[in-house]
Amino acid sequence: MADTVLLIDKSKSHAEALGTYLERQQAEVLIVSTNDEVLVSIEKTQPDIVIADPYLPDGEIIYILKQMKKTRPLTQIIIISEPEYIDQAMEEFRHDVASYLFRPVKSHALDFALKQAKDRIALEKKLSRYEKEIADLHNAQRLYQQLFDEVPCYITVQDQNFRLTATNKMFKKDFGDEIGSHCFESYKHRTTRCRECPVAATFEDGLPHSTEEIVTSKTGEQYNVITWTAPIRNGLGQITQVMEISTNITQIRQLQDHLTSLGLMLGSMSHGVKGMLTALDGGIYQLESGLNRQDPERIQRAFDQVKQMAERIKKMVLEILYYAKSRELNYQHVDVAEISQDIVKAVRPVAEKYKVRLEVDISQSVGTIEVDANWVQVAIVNILENAIDACISDQDKSEHHVLFKVFLITPERLCYIIQDNGMGMDQETREKMFTLFFSSKGSRGTGLGLFIAHHVIRQHGGAVQVESKPRDGSKFQICLPIHHPTQPLLANATRVA
Amino acid sequence: MGKKILVVDDDPNIVDYLVTLFEDNGYTVFSAENATKGIEIAKKEIPDLITLDIEMPDEWGPRFYRKMTQEKSLKNIPVIVISGLSGIEHAIGKAVAAITKPFDRDKLLKVVKENIL
Repeated sequence: MADTVLLIDKSKSHAEALGTYLERQQAEVLIVSTNDEVLVSIEKTQPDIVIADPYLPDGEIIYILKQMKKTRPLTQIIIISEPEYIDQAMEEFRHDVASYLFRPVKSHALDFALKQAKDRIALEKKLSRYEKEIADLHNAQRLYQQLFDEVPCYITVQDQNFRLTATNKMFKKDFGDEIGSHCFESYKHRTTRCRECPVAATFEDGLPHSTEEIVTSKTGEQYNVITWTAPIRNGLGQITQVMEISTNITQIRQLQDHLTSLGLMLGSMSHGVKGMLTALDGGIYQLESGLNRQDPERIQRAFDQVKQMAERIKKMVLEILYYAKSRELNYQHVDVAEISQDIVKAVRPVAEKYKVRLEVDISQSVGTIEVDANWVQVAIVNILENAIDACISDQDKSEHHVLFKVFLITPERLCYIIQDNGMGMDQETREKMFTLFFSSKGSRGTGLGLFIAHHVIRQHGGAVQVESKPRDGSKFQICLPIHHPTQPLLANATRVA
Repeated sequence: MGKKILVVDDDPNIVDYLVTLFEDNGYTVFSAENATKGIEIAKKEIPDLITLDIEMPDEWGPRFYRKMTQEKSLKNIPVIVISGLSGIEHAIGKAVAAITKPFDRDKLLKVVKENIL
């Protein structure tokens, strides 16, 4: 497109000569020679370039040109003037002008000035376009960063070695802000990569993969998450990183667990239940035939078996009832030494059968505690049985023992310590052991025992601490407030009175 | 001497029940708590019938059955599966009967009587 040039010159003939020269160079030229015409002609022509002698006979036009530069910053001004006025013009315009030419104007100088003006227009146009693009980019980047941060999921970006290269706000909040650490360290506190890894699968085949995981936050909370991965490719289409998005579905899982678990639990327990019922049948048969034959030894044996089966069935039914939430806690003041002895009585036969030495240390001054004794017994028995199981499963040591210690750790808190020298647990087992249906015992475990134990203790306002080392054994410390946690003041008041 | 039955089951209470029940009905009974011992005793005593649990901690019932049928002296002994698992009738195809726990003892005795060699 041709450039529009506005020529402002006091000498009409000089202006026309310049005009002809410019038109020959494909410019569209308008010539003005008085102050009055300048304003109107700027409006009318919208010039790209103004070539002007600012000192017209009817007054200078410096102010008009400066105003024009403000409203049309892209229009370039070339000043032509007598050598003696040039300094004055420079003083007035400073950098608003592209170039200054002496009268009479030489063609080389004019060509050069025009070229410079055009370059400047092109440059300024480019600059303003870039400026806008950068602003857009900046906004877009800010928007994406904001989206990345505010998505209500945990997002990580990982390299080939499962190192975190970017994480969003929610991840930082729950799992820490450690760029460069391994995914499995942050999520699972493991020292090696997980066996089933959706990130590794995506690196391999470039497709999204999904898994469900149990992860542990920096404060030790456990979350169920559903994880999806997506590849991040470079310009050549190679996968350089993988993005992993994990949605916290703990609450949904908890709900689902409660809805589906009863059926599931009965299914997984049915084998055990059938075994127990058959053994109960056996006991009854032997009792019956023993009575018929007047065989006291057989009667005694049968009676012991019936009793043992009744205990086991009772325990299982109680667990199911507990899980079905058909029961509120029934707080009562009970003698700690007495319930602790009952607990020992419940597990001693198993310990003796498998030659696990049970060391019992019940402090003299434990007094009474306000709990639902039934449930606390179930909880502690579960943990004790678990300790005995850990000893039975351990092949490394020739001698096994379980310490069961009961004492007041503070005047208000009762403490049980259950320590074994069994097979111990790795960190993953330790972190998952209280979750529903998690069992390290294969078909022998229902995944209910420790879940219920933990739940009962928490429900009583207590806490469980676990220390364990693979092959060395485990130590459980269970602390319970000795008063009903919701009415501690009332309980104290009664005691003082 | 009465006919011989071998009971293979990991649950001592159930072993106790079956042993007493069969003894009371005039059989001579041996028992084993796992597959390895089961084979050992079977080879020594050559029982006339075997009752077999499916789910045992070390070796499952079907493996016991496979090992047993590899022994010439044992392969024709009738096996009754007694298990708490549902769908057990297919676990060992050649078992003469499959009974689920808890079972009706008269029915069990009847099946034993019908199938014992």
